[in-house]
Amino acid sequence: MSGKVSRQILLYGVVCLAILIVPVLVDDAFLLNKYARYLIFGMLAIALSLSWGYAGILNLGQATTFGLGSYCMAMFLKLKTVPIHTGSDGLPDFMVWNNVTELPWIWVPFHSMPVALLAGILVPALFAALLGWFMFGGRIAGVYAAIITLAAMVVVNLIIIDQQSYTGGFNGITDLARFEIFGLTFDAYSASTYYLVAICLTVTLFLALAVSRSKTGLILQAVRDQEERVRFFGYDVALYKTFVFALSAAIAGLAGMLYTIIMEFASPTFLGVPLSLSIVIWVAVGGRQSLLGAMLGAVLVTGVQGALSETEAFLETWTLVMGGLFVLIVLFMPKGLAGAFEALVRRFPKAAREGGARHAAEQSPKSQPHLGGAL
Amino acid sequence: MTAAREQLLALKQVTVAFSGFIAVDRLDFEVASGELRCLIGPNGAGKSTTLDLICGKSRITAGEIAFRGAPIHAFREFRIARTGIGRKFQVPSVFRELTVRENLEIGCSRDPGVWRNLFRFTGGVDTERLERLAVLVGLEDHLETQAAQLSHGQTQWLEIALILAQDPALILMDEPTAGMTAHETNMTAELFNRLRGKHTLIVVEHDMGFVRDIAETISVMHQGKLLAQGTADEVSQDAKVREAYLGSGGIGHA
Repeated sequence: MSGKVSRQILLYGVVCLAILIVPVLVDDAFLLNKYARYLIFGMLAIALSLSWGYAGILNLGQATTFGLGSYCMAMFLKLKTVPIHTGSDGLPDFMVWNNVTELPWIWVPFHSMPVALLAGILVPALFAALLGWFMFGGRIAGVYAAIITLAAMVVVNLIIIDQQSYTGGFNGITDLARFEIFGLTFDAYSASTYYLVAICLTVTLFLALAVSRSKTGLILQAVRDQEERVRFFGYDVALYKTFVFALSAAIAGLAGMLYTIIMEFASPTFLGVPLSLSIVIWVAVGGRQSLLGAMLGAVLVTGVQGALSETEAFLETWTLVMGGLFVLIVLFMPKGLAGAFEALVRRFPKAAREGGARHAAEQSPKSQPHLGGAL
Repeated sequence: MTAAREQLLALKQVTVAFSGFIAVDRLDFEVASGELRCLIGPNGAGKSTTLDLICGKSRITAGEIAFRGAPIHAFREFRIARTGIGRKFQVPSVFRELTVRENLEIGCSRDPGVWRNLFRFTGGVDTERLERLAVLVGLEDHLETQAAQLSHGQTQWLEIALILAQDPALILMDEPTAGMTAHETNMTAELFNRLRGKHTLIVVEHDMGFVRDIAETISVMHQGKLLAQGTADEVSQDAKVREAYLGSGGIGHA
């Protein structure tokens, strides 16, 4: 058992190390920016794997919390933009175009970096906690919960587009300052920004692993299996589901903040249906019950997507190719690539011997129940 | 004997109606601490519904359910469970995708908080107790087996072990021997006889042989009401009980 856990930690560590040494091998700022984007999608996949793979909550609006995090970072960086790009009296340019004369109260706290960074994580988490509390407290589950997450995303998206004078509307928030912390400047096209993303990903991955390995993680899996039964053991199922939903949102919020740094803008398209559904596809391909699988699924799918869409032969047909691959994987690998990989590992001779030994133990005559020992 | 013990559970004039159909009708039902009570009756008598009402799965329409003297019928399910009431369902509902060990860990629910459990990992304080439970129900060689791989009888035993892991003061058992072999049924009877005293049990059962083996007091329900109560012999000789079972082949074949 503990051997299995340490093997898992080792595997996760090796993958993270491989991700961290990429800038040593790749000396192309444009490529690093692209890879960092894939890693951010990997964080989103980890977030969905926690809620969908572990707790059975299919979130079709994961991009909502991603977008909220992204806007928090964009608001902070917009206020740091050098005055020449900004309107009179230090107002963001789009506010001046919308005849706003005073910085709206909601923007004021974003002058402070600690507040902005905290908001990027806590605003999505609180949003999800509130939504989760309503849904799970009201025993809404399965496909109905999925529809609510989707509807909530459309609402938030519309509000952001509608409130143009506060959010930049359709255009989003553009023309941002570079992110600076501890004297380091993070240029979107640089190895340092890649490292920032890779380290955040590593921390997120191991944090999620710890949660999934804890008793809380176990209880969440039990909720996925038999929600009703868990309740009668005295666990507050709604609270557990709300917790994992909010945790998932916090991770998505962090990913959104990083995305703003990488893309150098925030846009309502970040909270879109296409991105949300893409996350579901990445996680399904990678294997929703494996955090690492889901993460690699995102990197792989977006990577192949990028490569295909830039290849001349597939210029017109790459969406078709991706769709076909997705259908095949869902049909033939219900547990995704991670599940297929595990099945493959089990066929290795060493693993087979261990499995054989266990099988022999199962055949032992002790399989009859007996009431030895004190209660 | 019952009178000398402290009263643990009391249902007072409990009524439940499902869109007009009265499943339980002004039921008065009391169980003393440490008692092993069997609840029998023809199909549709309201036995399972009564268990549902006690554990909060269904809500009463009128009346009161008191546990240790305090009303609990307004509590949500997990709160009722935390007061010390455990339930074994008729259809085995173990966590099929988890291993036997993981199932039992879920069962150890003394600390049900999200935050506390976030910092608990496998191999914690419960390990020894867990393994003792697995031995008790004969699953010690299957601790790392996925519950979905267990046989039907083993699943029933796991279900019982889950309840024991939870260690509630009052255990509600709905047909614990369903699908068990004669040998396994005997083992279950033995287990129940060990449990009485430490735990209070209410067992809904159809197998009269099993009921005779374990029960001191039997309550017979019919059409949502308590029809008779007493020892196995008293109950089977009761004229009203015989009448209620008429047509279903007598009490022995219920």
